[in-house]
Amino acid sequence: MARITFKAVTKRYAGDVVAVRDLDLEIFDKEFVVLLGPSGCGKSTTLNMIAGLEEVTEGELWFDDEIVNTLPPHRRDVAMVFQSYALYPHKSVYENIAFGLRMRRVAAEEIDRRVRDAAAKLEISHLLQRRPSQLSGGQRQRVALGRAMVRQPAVFLMDEPLSNLDAALRISMRAEIKHLHTAMQTTFVYVTHDQAEALTLADRIVVMNDGVIQQIGAPDDIYERPRNTFVASFLGNPPINYLDGTIEGADGAVSFRRGGMRVALPPALAARLRGSPGREVKLGIRPEDVSRHGLGAETPAMEGIVDTVLPVGSDRFLGLKVEGCDVFVRVDKQAHHREGEPVRLALVPERLHVFDKASGLSLLADGAP
Amino acid sequence: MTAITSLPRRAARFGGPTYDERNALVLIAPLATVLFAVAVFPILYSFYISLYGLKLTRPHRVPFVGLENYVTVLTDPQFWEAVGRTAAFSVMSVAAVAVIALLAALLLNEEFPGRRVLSAVLLVPWAIPYVANALMWKWIYDSNYGALNGLLYQLDFINSYMVWLGDADKTLALIANAFVWKEVPLAVILLLVGLKTIPADLYAAAKVDGANALQRFLHVTLPALKSSFALVIVYETMMAIRHFDLFFILTEGGPGDASHVVAWRIYVETFRNLNFGLGAAMSYILALATLALAYAVIRALAQRI
Amino acid sequence: MAGPSMADPTAAARAVRQARIRSRAGRVGRGLILLVASLVFLGYTLAPVVWLVSSSLQNEREIVSKPPHWIPHEPTLENFAAIFTAREKTVTYETRRAADPASGGFIPSTASNLLPALGNSLIVACAVVVLNLLVGVPSAYAMAKIRFRGRSASIYGILATRVIPDIALVVPFFLFIRNLGLLDSLWSLIITYLAVTVPFSVFILVSYFESLPDELDKAARVDGCSRWQTMTKVYVPLALPSLVAVMLFAFLASWNEFLLALMFTQTPKSQTLPIIVASFTSDFTISFSFINAAGVLAIVPPVLLALIFERYIVSGLTAGAVKG
Ligand SMILES: Nc1ncnc2c1ncn2[C@@H]1O[C@H](COP(=O)(O)OP(=O)(O)O)[C@@H](O)[C@H]1O
Ligand SMILES: [Mg+2]
Repeated sequence: MARITFKAVTKRYAGDVVAVRDLDLEIFDKEFVVLLGPSGCGKSTTLNMIAGLEEVTEGELWFDDEIVNTLPPHRRDVAMVFQSYALYPHKSVYENIAFGLRMRRVAAEEIDRRVRDAAAKLEISHLLQRRPSQLSGGQRQRVALGRAMVRQPAVFLMDEPLSNLDAALRISMRAEIKHLHTAMQTTFVYVTHDQAEALTLADRIVVMNDGVIQQIGAPDDIYERPRNTFVASFLGNPPINYLDGTIEGADGAVSFRRGGMRVALPPALAARLRGSPGREVKLGIRPEDVSRHGLGAETPAMEGIVDTVLPVGSDRFLGLKVEGCDVFVRVDKQAHHREGEPVRLALVPERLHVFDKASGLSLLADGAP
Repeated sequence: MTAITSLPRRAARFGGPTYDERNALVLIAPLATVLFAVAVFPILYSFYISLYGLKLTRPHRVPFVGLENYVTVLTDPQFWEAVGRTAAFSVMSVAAVAVIALLAALLLNEEFPGRRVLSAVLLVPWAIPYVANALMWKWIYDSNYGALNGLLYQLDFINSYMVWLGDADKTLALIANAFVWKEVPLAVILLLVGLKTIPADLYAAAKVDGANALQRFLHVTLPALKSSFALVIVYETMMAIRHFDLFFILTEGGPGDASHVVAWRIYVETFRNLNFGLGAAMSYILALATLALAYAVIRALAQRI
Repeated sequence: MAGPSMADPTAAARAVRQARIRSRAGRVGRGLILLVASLVFLGYTLAPVVWLVSSSLQNEREIVSKPPHWIPHEPTLENFAAIFTAREKTVTYETRRAADPASGGFIPSTASNLLPALGNSLIVACAVVVLNLLVGVPSAYAMAKIRFRGRSASIYGILATRVIPDIALVVPFFLFIRNLGLLDSLWSLIITYLAVTVPFSVFILVSYFESLPDELDKAARVDGCSRWQTMTKVYVPLALPSLVAVMLFAFLASWNEFLLALMFTQTPKSQTLPIIVASFTSDFTISFSFINAAGVLAIVPPVLLALIFERYIVSGLTAGAVKG
């Protein structure tokens, strides 16, 4: 049970690699926070700083009301699950799970109780006497979870814990981890580069890139109101489409224009952009935010030529050429488009994203340029 | 709050040791102490001594002589003769080690019953002390009762027993032979590492391309062994240049000056003539030459690979 | 292989038969080559040692036969008995003169030093092994798993101390040891052997520790281990094979070392086996068979260790080769 606060934290590795730059972040007690970003963006570094495995170069790291910058990991009440599981090869499963408690001089009966309890919860009771090398990947994963669980730590850290599992197992483990968080009532910090994991697990997501926080927010918030093109692109699969164009119109109707295409912007955006005709922007359209229905004369719409058709189970994806741009959209299964055909799709005005072309910042966000 | 928080910031800003660096320092301290006291300090001290006319025969007068000891050594024709012998000994030894070790490594790289026994036997020469090795070869080379004479006589190669180590023309080669015998095993192990890294596919591919055994050896095996060979040559050269034990026991530099190599000369100058300053100067020259040689070879290889 | 056309059955059969003969001939040929090569290898490697052992089992009369008796006709252990009873028999000029030269009586007066020297060698080697571990393991762990400024420089620095030939160090070593008042004590050997062996030990251990995943280190520290505990409870148990290799190398190097012992030891109090054995070889009055027995005595422990722990030695040397 702890609140973790980063105040202007920078981490610099030898050779002046800045892994994390000027990080400000508050993780609340009992919260499930996911650090999300591409490989090399500084997620693990951030997590390791919480664990004490990496030292803060500049700034302050607080646990509740205490600065822990120089507190070594064994004095911090944290537990961690690693991508490679990092089980001790020379110890049995039982001893692997018990090790952290032994190091903290917990009484023997208490250790035994907690180990068996955790093993039962994770359904690995029958494996306790085995060595890690005799376990499957999924079983090792459970042992690693057990080792962290029995510690009943103030902070539970996980660094891509599911990345080494196969797809099916990954999805079922997601649910278990979510369940674990509810049961343990403690602060979870979870690192992943998999947006689907982040979206299912997190109370709040912290999106990072190049050592800098891009956006912090609830999953829906991040998905629906990305602050910049990086966040918008990183979340969503298939990714969001961009059309470069300019703002047009003055008084009443403000619209986006690219070549022959003109999209009237919803009032909120229109109000912001009224004063800047000719401004260069990117229009962001998520693949699922189009519809074959509700096409009226007034509704914003997009016209293009069907380039590819990809039926994928419940859905159908279309690759379109729109004003010289490739656009990928999802339509319902009933749509029977053929390649080379022209198509017209309605856009949902409230779900359109507009970004400044130069800075990539969203024009919808608070304090937008 | 600000008073407390300024602490860690400052430590980090001014590059003081982090807590893990302090841990590392504590863990390394014993090693650092030992190596400083018994390696770094002597190396520097050796240079210091070499600038003085320190002779144990007159311990109370130790004049500073600057580089005079070096001049003395480098202008002494006998020193250069010793250098020549060291070079001859090293070239002979290293070449022989390389060839014999390559053949042995090729043998041990094959799969056949008994291979395990052979690779165990390989370690025997490696394990025995140089002194025992010297004693063994001294006995084998013995001019009256030695095995070499006995064997050659029985095989009718010679009509009467011969003098071996006492023959100035043969001494260096015979000492080199004893050296090679003991050094081959390590070289074999190093070369086997290289051989093991050659993927079997490569041989299969070469076979498909119609390469015969010799061609496969020349075009697949040898190139892959390049870096192992380099290691063997650098290491064995260093060992040969500094070698002392066999010279001490087999010949003491003799007969005449036939095996008077640099290492032996340093020993004589230092511990028989008790001329420490001169001995140190010679040691320093040998050390620098070794370093330069190692550096040159490694540089050359780094460029090649 | 371009075979004959399959339309001609007899030609095809003949080709198959020829190929089979050829491959069988190839197999036999390969076997023959391997056999011959193995015998040559065994002869080259073992013959000198076998001859040493054989002559240590011959008495003085037999050992001077021409041509030599490759296999002792009257094998005897009297040379070894002489070594092990040298203490009880006081060897004086008279007893030596009295002994019949033909019956192997030339036992040197220093023979009684052999067993103490064996003891000294053992003590020095064991002390060096223990100190190697105490000094080498923590620093190797730190260099493999802790990032600190100057880390890679320190690894190369440690190895660089071994590029300097020992002979170049004997003068300062000698003065250093003399100033500490440690001349002619086992400590002089223990300290210098430690400095000579520990760089390679650290090198082997660093490469082994580096091959173990970093996440193990992190897991242990999060689990509550200090750096020291991480090392002792996780890395040391996992590094057992390389620890064995390190112990063997340190032991063998100390057991076999000659030059430094020659400089620092002066009396039987501190002389090691190589020194005593070497002193025999320069004494022309000593029986060859006795010297050879002493040589065998010096050979047996290291060779036994090497044969028993062959696997560890090879893997240790291999680790050095792969990194170096
Ligand atoms: N020990 C290190 N030394 C130097 N640079 C490092 C080290 N560890 C990580 N980095 C660098 O820091 C950046 C962030 O790494 P990391 O936190 O591991 O990223 P992520 O976990 O998001 O993939 C990367 O550029 C990486 O190369
Ligand atoms: Mg990572």
